[in-house]
Amino acid sequence: MLLFRGNEWQKRLSPEEMQKVASQWMDWFKRLSEQGKATAGSPLLAEGKLVSGKNGRVVADGPFAESKEAVGGYFLLQVKTSEEAVAIARECPGLAYGAVVEVRPVAETCPLVAEMAAQEQLAGATA
Amino acid sequence: MNAPTINSGYLLLIRNDEWYNSMTADELRKISEQAKSWFERLAAQGKVTPGQGLVRGGAVVGKNGRTLTDGPFAEAKEVIGGYMILQADNLEEAISIAKTNPILAHGSTTIEVRPVAQECPLDARLRELAEEAQLATA
Repeated sequence: MLLFRGNEWQKRLSPEEMQKVASQWMDWFKRLSEQGKATAGSPLLAEGKLVSGKNGRVVADGPFAESKEAVGGYFLLQVKTSEEAVAIARECPGLAYGAVVEVRPVAETCPLVAEMAAQEQLAGATA
Repeated sequence: MNAPTINSGYLLLIRNDEWYNSMTADELRKISEQAKSWFERLAAQGKVTPGQGLVRGGAVVGKNGRTLTDGPFAEAKEVIGGYMILQADNLEEAISIAKTNPILAHGSTTIEVRPVAQECPLDARLRELAEEAQLATA
């Protein structure tokens, strides 16, 4: 998964640069999907909430509007290696302007289930 | 083949501090079943598409395509552990659904609820600027 982090950089672009980056980005996604390498993607609105606590009792505002870390969008990639995912991330048209791309492998198993299986294995081994 | 640009719905980003690493298999089984039935109930209502966990660790790519070695998003409870996509009528509904996720009871889990944008934010900004320019010359 590619997570596009930071949206401050967009505010420093001139309209011409915005136009250029927007259309490069769209072409980038289009090319990746035609190659079967991107299976989904979306930009996100710079708003939302952070939910936490038991029963989600805490609902807070987040730094979505102007932040170096806010997630501005994502792509889901279908590639064989992390190296390939990183190589694709390096093509992001926003990088030259300050965009940052986080590259995260998708887990094959839910981490809870993986931890459970690991523990059961351990328990089995010491039984 | 053209990948869908999903332009409706709400992205949930789940952050946690790997609380599951300090639980017994029995506790995990119980929680995992709760999470699974929560998800299945929503899926039956057509409100959720399957999400995934993200492997902790990875890479961060910055200016000039260089890899930032000390991932800036590395503080344990800030790491995004997984995501899912909800269909809801509005943000309030998406938030109330997120609140019912049973994993919120464990560790310092937070769920970020973000509306999916209909258009690229740069295009949205360009449109705003064009509208402002039009108003200015009216």
